[in-house]
Parts: sequence; C-alpha cells; structure tokens
Amino acid sequence: MVVFVTARAAPLFSSQGLSWLGSGGDVDTQIGAMANGATHVQVHLWPLIYGSLLTTALAIVLALAISLLTAIFIVDLAPARVRSLMLPVIRLLASVPSVIYGLIGILVLVPFVGNDLISAGQKESVINVIQLTGAGLLVSVVILTVMVTPIITALTVEALASVPRSWHEGAVALGLNPVRATITVSLRAIRPAIVAATALAAARALGEAIVIDMVSGGKSFSPNPADGLIFIYEPLRTMASTIIDQGENLSVPAVRSTVYALALLLMVSGLVLSLASRLIRRSFRRYELSS
Amino acid sequence: MRRRRHLTAALVVIAALTAVPVAIAATTTISMSGATSSFPLIELLASKYSKLKNNSVRFKIAQGGASVGIADAAAGRVSIGNSSRAPQTGDPSGLYFYPIAKYFVCIVTNSSNTLSNLTAPQAQQIFTGKVRNWSQVPGATATGSIDVYSRTSVAGVLTTFQNTLLGNSKVGSFATQEPSEGLMQNAVKKDASGIGFLSDYFALAKGLNAVGYAGTGCSVANVVSGTYPGVSDFYEVTKGPASGQNQAFIYWIQSSATAKKIIESNWIPLGKIQPVVKSH
Amino acid sequence: MATSEPLRPPLASAPRQRRGRRSSVRSWRLRDQVVWLCAWLAGALLCLVAGAIVVFLAVKGLAFLRPSLLVESPSASVDQAGSGGFLDPMIGTLTMAAIGTLLATPLAVASALWVVEYGRPRRLAALVETAIEVVAATPDIVLAIFGLALFQFGIFAPLSFRAGAGGVYGRSFFAAGIMMSLIALPLTYTATRNGLRATPRQLREASYALGKTRIATIRRVLLPKVRSDIATGATLGLGRIIGSTAIVVLLLGATLQNSPQGSVPLLGFLRGTGSTLTSYIFENSPAGEGNAPQKAYAAAFVLIVIVLVLNAVVARISRVGAAAAGSSGRLTL
Repeated sequence: MVVFVTARAAPLFSSQGLSWLGSGGDVDTQIGAMANGATHVQVHLWPLIYGSLLTTALAIVLALAISLLTAIFIVDLAPARVRSLMLPVIRLLASVPSVIYGLIGILVLVPFVGNDLISAGQKESVINVIQLTGAGLLVSVVILTVMVTPIITALTVEALASVPRSWHEGAVALGLNPVRATITVSLRAIRPAIVAATALAAARALGEAIVIDMVSGGKSFSPNPADGLIFIYEPLRTMASTIIDQGENLSVPAVRSTVYALALLLMVSGLVLSLASRLIRRSFRRYELSS
Repeated sequence: MRRRRHLTAALVVIAALTAVPVAIAATTTISMSGATSSFPLIELLASKYSKLKNNSVRFKIAQGGASVGIADAAAGRVSIGNSSRAPQTGDPSGLYFYPIAKYFVCIVTNSSNTLSNLTAPQAQQIFTGKVRNWSQVPGATATGSIDVYSRTSVAGVLTTFQNTLLGNSKVGSFATQEPSEGLMQNAVKKDASGIGFLSDYFALAKGLNAVGYAGTGCSVANVVSGTYPGVSDFYEVTKGPASGQNQAFIYWIQSSATAKKIIESNWIPLGKIQPVVKSH
Repeated sequence: MATSEPLRPPLASAPRQRRGRRSSVRSWRLRDQVVWLCAWLAGALLCLVAGAIVVFLAVKGLAFLRPSLLVESPSASVDQAGSGGFLDPMIGTLTMAAIGTLLATPLAVASALWVVEYGRPRRLAALVETAIEVVAATPDIVLAIFGLALFQFGIFAPLSFRAGAGGVYGRSFFAAGIMMSLIALPLTYTATRNGLRATPRQLREASYALGKTRIATIRRVLLPKVRSDIATGATLGLGRIIGSTAIVVLLLGATLQNSPQGSVPLLGFLRGTGSTLTSYIFENSPAGEGNAPQKAYAAAFVLIVIVLVLNAVVARISRVGAAAAGSSGRLTL
C-alpha cells in the first residue's frame, strides 16, 4: 500500500520538487485549474497542511485537558453510582459514527455560530477576503474535541486503574489530598499511556475527513490568529477533507498526483505518530519502578 | 468424508455462480458522470430509455461537474460524459461533444429578497466583489453584506455564467464555492443575504427569486425569443465517435419525439440537430 | 511502666483516612480546589454532551421516523424531501457489515493463531505485527483512496464492471467490503491475540502431554477458549465498519438505490453500487444534495440504535467471557 500511494504521488514530486509543501496562492484555484486540464500548474498545499495541523493541535490540547480532568473525576471524585454510569457513556461517545457528529455539527452548531455568534460587524470586517458563514475553525475544533476526548479518557482511566493502589494510598498517607495524589503520582506513572492515547487520538483527528468536510467551510483559507477573535470563525480546509472532495476528480492525472501526495502525507504522519509514541514510551520506562 | 463432500458441494455452487454471468451478457450498462445541471434531464431520459428497451440497457449516473465528466470520458472511466459547457483548451483531445439540449442560467437570490433586475455592470460588480453590501444595490430588499455563492471550477455552469452574464470576468475568490447545483440551491434558499446563479431547472424552483438580467426576465419564453443572453448547450461527451449502445442512446435523444417532450418539460430543445463539435 | 501520653497528638486527618472518607475539600489548597472543581465540571460536561446527543437524536429521529421509511426504497430523484425511505441504505449497511466481518474474522484469527502459536521465522511474525499496526494507524480516507486506485486494475474487473470505453469502474460492494475488512482486521486480531496470550501455558502443555498435535490443540482447546475474545474483537470491528463513511462515499458508487450489476442474483448485487446508512445520512444532510434533514435525522436515529445495541452486545460478551475464563479450568478434549 505504501509503495502504491507513493508511486501515484511521484509525478507531483517530479514536477515540483518539494515546493508543493509550501504556501502561495489559492489552493482551490490551483486544483480547479488542474481539473480543467491546465498543464504545469504549480500547486502549493501549505494551507491544507496548516488547516489539518491547526484543527488537530487545538482539538488535542482541548481534549487532553478535558480527558485528564474527567479521568481524575472518574477515578477519585465520582460516587460509585456515577462511576459505573460514566464508563458506558464514554464507550458510547467513542462509538458514535463520525457522520452523526457531522450531522449535528452542520444542522445545529453551524447555524448557531453563524446566526448567533458572528455579528454583522465581524462579517463586514473580512468581507473582501472571505465570507463568514458559521462553518469554520470553531465548529471543527469543537466537534473534533468531542470525538477525540472519549478515546483519551477511556485509555487514561484504564491505565490509572492499573497503577498499584498502594502508590496512591502512600501519597495520601503522606498528607496529600486524593486529587493531588493522583496528579503527582498516578498520572506521572502512566505518562507513557497518556502519550500513546494522545498519539492515537491525533491520528484519528488528522484522518477525519467526513466531519470536517461537513463543518469546515470548504474554503482553503488559512485562519490567521492575527485577525483577533474572528480567527475562530474563519473557514478552512484540511488534507483529509480535500481528498474526499476531489475523490471524483481522479481521472485528471495532475489532480490524482496531488490527492495521492496528500494521502501519502496523512499515512506518513500516522506512522510518525505511532513511532513517536513508541519512542516516548520507551524513554519513560527509565522512570518506571518495578512494583 | 462428510467434510470433503461439503467442500465439493461448495465449490460446485461457486463455480456455477461465476460461470453464469459469463454466459449471460445480454444487459449493457452505460455509465455516465459529469454536470450536475444536466443530471435531472439525463436521469429522466435514461429511465425512459431503459423502459423503452425493456431494461436491456441500464444506466449508472454519477455527477461531479462538467470537467469531471469530460476527464472521466477521456480516461475511459465512464462510457459517456455529461457536459454543460462547450470544449475548451485544456480538455483532453479526441473527444466528441454531442449537443442534446439547451439550458439557461439565472441569477438567483433568496425568496425574501425580491430583487427583480440587475444590469450587466451591477451583476459584474457584485460577483467580482466591488460591491459588497445590499444597500448599494437598488431594488434589493435584503440588508447587510452580500453573501456571494459560486461554483467550484469544474462546473460547466460557472463557465457559461462567466462568459454570458459576467462579460467574461471571473467570480471573485472570496465567494463560497458550492460543488453542485443542488448545494448552491440549498445555500441560497437558506441565506437571506445570499446571491448565486443556477441553471434553469434549479433556479426556477420554489423558494428562490430568479433575477432578471439587463431588463429581461429569466424565463423560457425570453430564451426562445432570443432576448435573454445566458444560454448554453448540454453535451454528451464520448471518447472518439460514439458507437454501439452509446451511439444509440445519443441518437435517440437527438431524434426521438419522446425525448424531445422530456426536454421541453424544463429545458429547450435544440431545434435542428446541430453538427458535432470536436475538441482540438 | 506507666502508660505514657502519646508523644505527639495524632494527625487531625489520619482517622478520617483510616475510615476511608475523603478529606474535606475545603481544607485543600486553592489550586487543588480549582482542580477539583474543574474535574467535576469536566465529568459533568461529558455526561451532558453524551446525553444531549442521544436525546437530541432520539427526539428529532422519532419525530421523523415512520415505519414506512424502513421498508421503502429511496426515491430516484435528486430531491429526497418528498418520498422514499431508506430500505436500500439499510440493506447496504448490513451487506457491508457482513462482507467486512466475514472477510476479516477468519484472516485475523488465523494470523493471531499463527503469530502466537508458531511465530517462526521471528522476522515474519514481527513483520505481521507491524503491518497490522500500520493498517490500524491508517486513516479511513487513505484506505478508501487506496482502494479506489487498486480496484481500477483490469484483474479486478469482475468485482465491479467495465465502462464502455474500457476503463474499470472500480466501485462496488465488493470493493468497499474488502476495504472494510481491512478496518476490522486490526481490532479482531488484537483481541484474539490478547486472548490467546492470556490463556495459561498449562492448558496447551496438558493437551500436548495427552498426545494431541498442535493443530488439534488449536482447534479443540484454544479456539473455544478465546471464542469470546474473537467475538468481542469482531463486534468492535463491526461497529467500526458500520460507522465508517469515507470508504462508502468513495468506493460504493454513490447511487441512492442499490443497483445490481449483471443478472446473477447475489454476485450481481455485490458487483453493483449502492448506499449505506452512513452515506445516506451524508447525502441528505446540508453537505449533500438530498436536502432532507428529516430523513437524515431518522436514519441517524436508526444508526445510533444499531450502534447502541452492538455496544450492549460487546459488553455482554466480554462479561460472559470473563466469567467463563475465571470459572472454567476444565479441558475439553
């Protein structure tokens, strides 16, 4: 499979070297020109890469925060009845098909953001460059976070359960309150598992095409933090959603190489993530005490 | 012993199942892809044709946009490509474009915005982004900034629109690009400050306001009389001259009275059968 | 010796710890109190979101779900709002699930058995493990694109059909089903492998001691033992197959109704194109053409009910399996 995807992507490398990773120009126009048969179109896919990186990074950061807090909640703070409720809840959230998340996003969140959160003044200020419709960075990140949090939470809870209880109780006996004990002792002990869970979640977020396609606004624009608050409303396009959008266009050789190059990038990043998590886990092993 | 018998029985069944399709080759499937604007018409024609042929000819129709249909036909991925624009430089060579019907493009706004007419310079200013607020458009009942909707670049309707109603200028890159007629229709229906352009089948549907152009209303009558400029043809595209079942189908569309009646329901027949246009 | 006072009074919190109660939150440092609050909020938030999703879908879905939708085929027009149900997509989902699981499970079980029981040459076993990990880490969309390219080769023509000008169409139930099995494969493999690794050595050694060959051991002893693990893995894979949309959208030909190819009953159906519940929802949402959000809601509701049922089944199987593993040490030979 690796060989195949690389072979299909090769023409892009040969015609442009690595410059296609850079920025310059509007990706939509470039791909559109390719689809219409223009030859020797220089394509610069950085906006797509930036879109993927931005949504994934933001979603992971938010999800980590929420997941770790939830894990602490489940393990330490929740009364027993609530705890037995939480686990099925998390499993449910993790198994909801992505298209249903996309449906709720596009039918509920996007209109909400578009009508209630974006003011007319904000629309006016960017009107010559893009149109704000509510579909954009904010909704994409929110939904990705919701999708990814159950994964990290479930794995963290499982790992926390495998930490010897005596470590936690020892910390408490030394005078720490239970939450602090969990943070300083148990969470640090399971750092490798957290890393692995994050890598898994990041791979899922990067590869999520359908949901992003539905809620991200479909415009290959790079949301610019310098724009202030409006930054979160700006539309964008990720690598995965571009692959799905151009899925019909593959008869055109130029488009085909571009799409396969994106697929190659996604595959490589998935492999890199899993490799990195393995390396990090191995380095953590130095800190592990044999219990 | 019993297991071996089961095994041979299974093998025999599988062999039979695979041998039979080789024997039965009676049904042909014509696969098509391409323009979203001609899709409703092609679907009607295809289902009628299938019935006339007692289901010995079946169709698989995908969409994707005119350029996708052209590229697919050239690559051999489909038997016939549906196009809503004439061949242009950049299209693969060796393709044959067979015109089958005429259609026209209307500028549309949300039904709450009862804008009745746009002059040519007004239309150009709005779609290229020089005018961005409804307050600068006389006759519009919408307020606020204009949400411009356009099509992705594989759309034939986009080419027609730009060539006939925008004086050959291009729609600005700020516009939201919808990948199909249906999606553009949904978008403008939902957006009170929206404006876009659609082929006639989609534009004249409920929930949209079709805007006149340079004093002429967007209607079939005005197109037939020649006063409305936004007109183009639907083409069926084949790699090399059409042959076999493809040719039979295209010929049926161009010549039979049943097909003409279907075309007349929402579009405009060609009149005399036009000569074929070759690419390159 | 006179009884002496304890040299130091016991720590104020110690008795409470021994009783097992949490120390009062108010006695903690401010930072920890903030964390405590945030943790409660996070937990509440998650429950709220999950509940909101289920309730919302239930409300909207039941509002629009009519029994006729379950048995009618989608209408053939572009605008789905008028009529038609989603019988075809449901059949499509079932077919996808069947093909994917039927292909994945035997392959996964066989690989897991081979890796755990035989495992030589070592390099090959490591390669198999790595390969499975690579497939597991690949996003759905990359698998879909790969499938799209793969099935266009001439030798795969019987799996879909040839277009008029000689190119292979490459999109059919077969194509999508094969790619689906790739998604389910790692899940079933991992579950089976873990189950096999967890069976005690004594089981196998006892079986060999009694004179059974390795293959017989596998068939009569190990397989029944890990049956519940296989079932768990297969059901997890099934859940993932049912929920996958990218592969369906790209590899199933995107026709609303299932249209078989050729006239042989089963094979023709599998070679043809169609839709599943997931692509149906996608098409009917504002992101697709159908413009029928009500149908999308109804279909989403059906889909999530299916997923909930599957979840319950998995929970049941793993509980039964754990109980059986705990209780039985018997060997059935």
